[in-house]
Amino acid sequence: MKTIPIVSGAKPDTGHIEEYSANFVQFLLRAEAECGVLAEYNLAGQETILLSGVEAQEFFFRGSDENLSRAAAYQAMVPVFGPGVIFDAPPDKMKSQLKIQVDALRYQNMKNYAPVIAQEVEDWIADWGDEGELDFMDEFLELTIHTATHCLLGKDFRDKMTAEFKTLYRDLEAGLQAIAFVDPYMQQPIFEQRDRARERLEEIITAMIDERRNSDIEYNDALATFMTGTYADGSCLTSTEVTGLVIATIFAGHHTSSGTSTWMLTELARHPKETAAIVEELNAIYQQDETLSHNALREMPKMESFLNEVLRVHPPLVVLMRRVINDIEFDGHAIPAGKTVAISIFGSHRNPEYFPNPEIFDPSRTEPETMFAYIPFGGGRHKCGGNAFALLQQKAIFSALLRRYSFEIVDQSDSYVDDLSGMVLRPKSPCRLRYKRRVS
Amino acid sequence: MKIRVDLDLCQGHSVCIDEAPEVFSVEDQLDDYPKVKVLNFQPSAELQNQVRLAARYCPNKVITLIEDNE
Ligand code: HEM
Ligand code: SF4
Repeated sequence: MKTIPIVSGAKPDTGHIEEYSANFVQFLLRAEAECGVLAEYNLAGQETILLSGVEAQEFFFRGSDENLSRAAAYQAMVPVFGPGVIFDAPPDKMKSQLKIQVDALRYQNMKNYAPVIAQEVEDWIADWGDEGELDFMDEFLELTIHTATHCLLGKDFRDKMTAEFKTLYRDLEAGLQAIAFVDPYMQQPIFEQRDRARERLEEIITAMIDERRNSDIEYNDALATFMTGTYADGSCLTSTEVTGLVIATIFAGHHTSSGTSTWMLTELARHPKETAAIVEELNAIYQQDETLSHNALREMPKMESFLNEVLRVHPPLVVLMRRVINDIEFDGHAIPAGKTVAISIFGSHRNPEYFPNPEIFDPSRTEPETMFAYIPFGGGRHKCGGNAFALLQQKAIFSALLRRYSFEIVDQSDSYVDDLSGMVLRPKSPCRLRYKRRVS
Repeated sequence: MKIRVDLDLCQGHSVCIDEAPEVFSVEDQLDDYPKVKVLNFQPSAELQNQVRLAARYCPNKVITLIEDNE
C-alpha cells in the first residue's frame, strides 16, 4: 500500500485547524497543489483526506452509505435540524426521510412553482421606482426565504411568516461556522442562540401542523408531503421530525440559492454584452408565452450557460465530507475507518484540464463529458435533491427581473469577491448594485 | 435507439415519466430513493422524440441513448 502524503504546516495538537478555519478554500487548494490526488490534514484531531481529480471524486460520489457516512461527517447539522432528523436518524429512517424530502421536490409538484416565484419577484420589485441602489445580498436572502416558504410550505405559511421567523432562522444559520464541525455543542453564544431559535421554530411550525390537521383544506405542497409521508412500518413522522424536515429543506436551499442569485446578478451587471443576449432570448420567449410556463422556463440556453458559469466560479457549497465507516482503498492507498474524506467543489471547478483558464468567467464554456468535474450540486446518490427546483427558481427570478430592470455595479469591479467566512460561499457584503427601469 | 440508465444516479425525480410515460416508470424501493424502471428498452420511432426529451431534462443525467446510426 502506498502512503498518503500529509500537508505541511501541522501544529502539534491542533493540526491544520487554524489555517483551515482562516480560509479553508485556500488551504484545500494548497493541499492539492502540494500533495496531489490524496492529501491528508488534521482538523483538531479529525484526520481528513482530500480527494482531488475526476477519478477520486467519482469514487467519493459512488461510495455507499455503509462505507462513507454523511451523517457522521455532518454532526454539526444535528442541533440545527433537531433530534431524530436526517443526520441524527438511524440509517433506515434517514433513508425514508430523504425519500419523503425529495418526493416533495419532485417534478410533478414543481410545475406549480414557476408562477409563484414570478409573483414573489413582482411583489418584491413593486416599490422599486425607476432607479435606485440596493445591497442585493440582503435582498436575495429575503426573497429566497419568501419563495422557498411559499413554494414548499404553502401560501398560509408564507402569509403568516413574521419578522420573528426570519430572525430565528438567521440565528439558526449563524450557528454553522467552521468551528461547529469540530464540536457543535461547545459553550458558545452562537450555539446558545442557535438552540433557542430551534426551540421556538418548532413551536411555530408545530402550531401550523396542528392547524392543518384540524382543517378540511387539502394541501399539496411540501409540508403536506412531510405530514403524510410514512416510514417502512407505516408510521408517520412526529412533529419534531416534520419540523426538522421543514428546517432542513429551507436550509438546504436558502443560502445556496441566495448566494447564487446575488452572484448571478453581480456577474450580469459586470457582463453587459452577455446580458443583452439573455434579455433578447427572454423577449423572444415571452412573445410566445406571456405567462412564462414551466415548459418555457426549461429551454433558455443563454440564461442557462450563464447560470452554469456562475455556479462553476462561485459554487455555494465548497467542500463535501463523508466519514469512513469501513476501511476502503483508492488507487493503492488504504483509507482506514474513522478518517474523513473530503472533496473540494471549488478546486474541481478550477481544474485546468476541464476548465482552461479557470479564473476567467466565460459563459461559452461547454460542460465536460464526465459528470464528476462540474459538480455544483454534488453527484451520486446524495446529489442535491433540490437541483431541478434550484435551477428553475433562478431562471424564474431572472426572467422576471431582467425584463423590467437593467443593473450596474456601483463599486470597483474587483471589490466584488467571494466571502468564505460562513459554510456557504457568497459575495462579500455589502454587494451594492444600481438598477434602472427598462424602457420598452 | 437503445436506452441505458445508471441507477446509481437516479433519485426518482420523475421528469422521465412526464415526458415518456410509455417508456419509463418510477418504482419505490425498500430503503432508497425511488428509481426509474425502463418499460421498453427499444422504443418505437413514434416514441423516440419523447425519450430524447426525457434524457435531456432528467436532472441527474441518468438516461443515455445510443442512436441507431452511432
Ligand atoms: C444553487 C442552489 C443549490 C446548490 C448549489 C446546492 C448544492 C447541493 C450539494 C452540493 C449537495 C450535496 C451535499 C453532499 O453531497 O454532501 C446538496 C444536497 C441537497 N440539497 Fe441542494 N443545493 C442548492 C439548492 C437546493 C434547494 C433549493 C433545495 C431544496 C429546496 C436543496 C435540497 C437539497 C437536499 C434535500 C439535499 C440532500 C440530498 C441527499 O442527501 O440525498 N438544495 N445540495
Ligand atoms: S431517470 Fe432521471 S428523471 Fe427519471 S426518475 Fe431518475 S432521476 Fe428522475
